Amino acid sequence: MNLNSFKLRLKDALVPLILIFIAFLFSAVWISFMGKSPLEAYSALFAGAFGSTSGIVNTIKKSVPIAFASFAVIVSTKANVFNIGAEGQLAMGAFGATMAGIFLKGLPAAIHIPAAILAAALGGMAFALIPALLRVKRGINLLVVLLLMNNIARFLLQFFVLDAFASDNALVPSTDRIMESARLPYLIGPPYRLTIAILIVLAVAIILELFFRRSTAGYEMRAVGLSPEAARYAGIDINRYMLLGLLLSGALAGVGGGLEILGNHHRLYIDFSPGYGYDGIPIALLSGGSPLISILGSLLFGALRTGSLTMQAKVGISDEIISVIQGSLILCIAANYFVKYLLNRRRADKKGKEAAK
Amino acid sequence: MTLGFFVVLLLSVIRLSTPMFIAGLGNMYCERVGILNLGAEGMMVSGAFAAVLGSYYTGNPWIGVLCGMVGGLVAGAIHALICVEFGGLHAISGLGITMLFNGVTKFLCLSIFGSTFTPNVAALQTTKILQGLPVLGKYLGALSPLVYLGGLIAVISYFVIFRTPYGLRVQMVGDDPRTVETAGIDVWKMRYSGVLICGLLCGIAGAYMSLGQLDRFFEGMIAGKGMLAVIAVKMGKWEPKGILGTALLLGFFDAVQLQLQINGVIGIPPEMLQLLPYVAGIAVLSMQTGATRLSALDSQYLRNKYKF
Repeated sequence: MNLNSFKLRLKDALVPLILIFIAFLFSAVWISFMGKSPLEAYSALFAGAFGSTSGIVNTIKKSVPIAFASFAVIVSTKANVFNIGAEGQLAMGAFGATMAGIFLKGLPAAIHIPAAILAAALGGMAFALIPALLRVKRGINLLVVLLLMNNIARFLLQFFVLDAFASDNALVPSTDRIMESARLPYLIGPPYRLTIAILIVLAVAIILELFFRRSTAGYEMRAVGLSPEAARYAGIDINRYMLLGLLLSGALAGVGGGLEILGNHHRLYIDFSPGYGYDGIPIALLSGGSPLISILGSLLFGALRTGSLTMQAKVGISDEIISVIQGSLILCIAANYFVKYLLNRRRADKKGKEAAK
Repeated sequence: MTLGFFVVLLLSVIRLSTPMFIAGLGNMYCERVGILNLGAEGMMVSGAFAAVLGSYYTGNPWIGVLCGMVGGLVAGAIHALICVEFGGLHAISGLGITMLFNGVTKFLCLSIFGSTFTPNVAALQTTKILQGLPVLGKYLGALSPLVYLGGLIAVISYFVIFRTPYGLRVQMVGDDPRTVETAGIDVWKMRYSGVLICGLLCGIAGAYMSLGQLDRFFEGMIAGKGMLAVIAVKMGKWEPKGILGTALLLGFFDAVQLQLQINGVIGIPPEMLQLLPYVAGIAVLSMQTGATRLSALDSQYLRNKYKF
């Protein structure tokens, strides 16, 4: 399996748009199956996400962890591994950030926040370490392990929140609140509460772009992803880059979860992530491996997650429809070879007709 | 530690390993024709929900099981279309199947029943006919008839794979599709059949989980069982006997954690016990040695007209 065969060139920019359109169309079938109007539902979704200032702010807010999850998947695919365990690593990163936020005391914010983010990265990285080592040392199927690790993360999260670090005074089961000094400062204060997390997203995206384009390690990692055999022949240690790619990937996913806690929730609870880690997968595959483009995809999914709440309230369609859109989008991506084939055939037909004239 | 305890544990092991076993047999067909199936989980979810729907609307659990088979088959057909016909990457298609059917079932469950779980429906938790047997009837009758159906499927599968022309072709397609095509066998038909059988069996496995173990569907009920089935197939070396063995081993860990939870062993929180089957699955997988024998697994085989 070579994931980099997914690389969609700019002239194929049409393909991702077609795939997204098909996914929406498919989900519309389910909506009308429930006796509701898809048009009404999607316009409520759009209005919820972009119709008001708070809607737009929420869209941007929700896109932060999604963007980090997509960075995580992008980095892993560059090293020819497919990190579908971002959801679990995200949860462990959130846990790391929460721990640093609660138990590191007496630090100024300028040190506490970076320390908490570092803890988040370490949490995600530690959780990616086991599958990475199993892959590199034993050569076993990574995807199966990563999916199981997501299950394990869910139970660990329950253990942390319900048992080990449960707060005594909380309405929903959660941990204690993190210290004031660990909370991300606001760019736009209440009632919108937009934190500096979006600046971190932009910075990380630019750093990643530079890493892959300008650094030797980035170049070699890409070489491993494009053709492991050629890379091995060129003397590149493939296993090292697989390990590195997965660990970096885990760290990025962890930071995404951490920022969600440090910026928005300020405490860890079980359902803090409605599936951000899974959102990252289709985005990463559609963005053609570019972190900057994947930010656009993250905004789309952030908008879906924000707007779906409005849609649920107004039209009465469960916000679970997002999972349907997400799943069908991934299936469309899997079938993208066929879409490309259809496009190619049309082009070939046109050329043939012109030649006949 | 009395004899009674062991009998309870044994029944529990059989109950818990059955879904992994049946889904594993399905995955065996799928992997033997060269298609990797990470969508087993989604096929099981689809089967489980369709089974409950069928039983809910007709009141007959056997029609529910039939609906479950159809549910699994639909998921299998999507996987087949993408992987066999459209030349898609198997892993991504499987992931999509799992995510889509998790989403669709939860969406339908919320839309139809207004909550993330369904009401209780007519189920198949015990086998009435066997309860009349002397001595063993008490124990044999306590298992769902679908457990016995699973055993039957295993025996049939063994003969199909190793004793019929179809089975030999299945083995060959997983090894070298090009040569098989040269021999005049329709590779795509073989691959379709493998994936569709897989969908059907995963549907039964899902129906067993919702109607055989319980009497309702709730969101997240499959919880990684499909992935454990995939592990059982790899560890069982793509043979019914091996799959049965691995499924029983994984089911044993599940049964142990369940017993520990029920008995309330002091000092271990329930969430940590629930981890046990997954950790065991990863441990089992990591003990796997050597490369796979199926050289065409996870490969695309495109029709000529789709090449460009």
